[in-house]
Amino acid sequence: MLAKYVARRFLASLIVVLGVTAITLALMKTTSGSYVPGIDLNPALRPEDIARLRTQLGLDEPPQVWYATWLWNVIHGDFGRSMIDGSRVTDHIFERLPNTLELTATAIVIGVLVAVPLGVIGALRRGSKADHGLTVVSVAGFAVPQFWMGLMLILIFSVTLEQHGLPWLPSSGAFSAFQGGDLLDRVQHLILPATVLSFFYTSTWSRFIRSSMLEVLSQDYIRTARAKGMSERRVVYLHGLRNALIPLITLIGLELPGLVSGGLVVEVVFGWPGIGKLAFERALQYDYTTVMGVTFFATLLVIAGNLLADLLYGVLDPRIRYG
Amino acid sequence: MIGPSRVAELEMPAAGIETGAARPAQSYWNESWERLRGNRLGVAAGLLIVVLALVAVMAPLLSAVLTHAQPQTIDLDSTFARPGAGGHLLGADELGRDTLTRLIWGARVSLGVAFLTVAMSLTVGTAVGMMAGYYGGWLDDVLMRFVDMVLAIPAIFLFILMSILIRPNAITLAAIVASVGWGSVARLVRGEVLSVKQRDFILATRSIGARDSRLMLRHLLPNVLPVLIVAASLGVGQIILVEAALDFLGLGIQPPTPSWGNMLTNAQSYFFRSGSLVAFPGITIFITVLASNIFGNAVRDAFDPRLKS
Repeated sequence: MLAKYVARRFLASLIVVLGVTAITLALMKTTSGSYVPGIDLNPALRPEDIARLRTQLGLDEPPQVWYATWLWNVIHGDFGRSMIDGSRVTDHIFERLPNTLELTATAIVIGVLVAVPLGVIGALRRGSKADHGLTVVSVAGFAVPQFWMGLMLILIFSVTLEQHGLPWLPSSGAFSAFQGGDLLDRVQHLILPATVLSFFYTSTWSRFIRSSMLEVLSQDYIRTARAKGMSERRVVYLHGLRNALIPLITLIGLELPGLVSGGLVVEVVFGWPGIGKLAFERALQYDYTTVMGVTFFATLLVIAGNLLADLLYGVLDPRIRYG
Repeated sequence: MIGPSRVAELEMPAAGIETGAARPAQSYWNESWERLRGNRLGVAAGLLIVVLALVAVMAPLLSAVLTHAQPQTIDLDSTFARPGAGGHLLGADELGRDTLTRLIWGARVSLGVAFLTVAMSLTVGTAVGMMAGYYGGWLDDVLMRFVDMVLAIPAIFLFILMSILIRPNAITLAAIVASVGWGSVARLVRGEVLSVKQRDFILATRSIGARDSRLMLRHLLPNVLPVLIVAASLGVGQIILVEAALDFLGLGIQPPTPSWGNMLTNAQSYFFRSGSLVAFPGITIFITVLASNIFGNAVRDAFDPRLKS
């Protein structure tokens, strides 16, 4: 049953991936004829040179041929070479991926560690001042532009602190930290961007845990647990929280694509050398192959995240059956 | 609309509205309206949005009468003027342009693009969702798989690619953002249509010979309307955020036209000269989005009590 379900989901995903890459290519193809804007006007290049360059890059092939070749290579693990610097797209992705993972994983861990206690407090003291306060903060959290929060943190913790001669946090330049910087340096660079990202996870997840906790605590088995004289602490944490956390798994799974896209703005603001910033810069430079590679990769993450969330859900909650 | 899962989790303590048993039966719309009016915070937020919209509409008047400056007037004598100095209530930027004036004109971009995006997403999403839900079969499969694809691409990539392609103005920028937003509306509408379609009155209408178009427009659409109203009011805030982020990245409205997002792009170059240049546009975005979200939640609670947590 499960195998059949996974197989069907996998097949559907395959179609989605094909569609996504086709849409991406169609967009990029219509974007510009020449991969470097204005290359046709460059007097230093002879027309035959330009023609040779275009052929080398495969720009003269009809889109469907280009797409078929690209797809064939991708199936064989070859994402092609960047149109800007000729290096392997996979190298680019794998060079940037650890940085992005470092940032996102930190943010997710902080998010969970902060959100779970806040959500539980909100549920246990429903209607109290603390609960209302948490509601207000989380509603506000949805309204803060992520990039602006980043800018404000830089303004406060980098610029103002430095102007007053106080110890300050770096606002960017994480590149240096990854080229042999020590651990402390890395952590210093990580603090501000991770704060911005985790703030948004916290405001989403704490609401979620609160309502899921409220729902679980009103279940019959909680009453049974109380009725047989179990301590309130055990009821809340062992029976309540454990079940209330199940929906959170889905949410975190759905956050997986955010590894690439969700962090993009934060990466740009803080100059974080991650995969989102890579995609952003390369798209501005019409680097088809790199953008296609990252999009493909990101879409795989979306689909894998959805599937993983579904399956984990079933593992954690045996009542769920796949049809 | 954009990221419905995020918005759907929002909840505000709504004023308790008890429907008295003795009251005569009211129509759904009257009842919803009463519920909305009873939510004071929601009404206040809605009024704030109306005020902001008026400010946007009256921008030329306000900048002539209130701030005595034009959004693109360069005044090199008052570069980086502090808030309150030289008649600049909120200060001036690196070219001496009045910040308040630029914020007022920026409201046109932000609110205009947001409302336009919502309108476009709703129109396309409703049409697609209704066709898929009503006709079913292969059409449903094809349309919904396409929606899956659109929603599976990380939205920011689509925005980046299309912005490079189009070099957007306000209208095309709205179209770009709506090109993703319609997907979730289509899913929503399809779900509603699937359930409404099963009801007896549809069978009755069909049996007296109503055509498909009449069924969809006169009978299905009114039943889908509550869901659409809720989706629209919850979507505005998210779209303002997306639009501001695109402007900030240089992919949206281009300078010198002021927008809340692109004012921040410039501001980050002058951190050391003026912090207020960074603060004010962000605060404006924050307040607007907050009001939209609170109003959106109030509308949801009023029009779709099932969803209230």
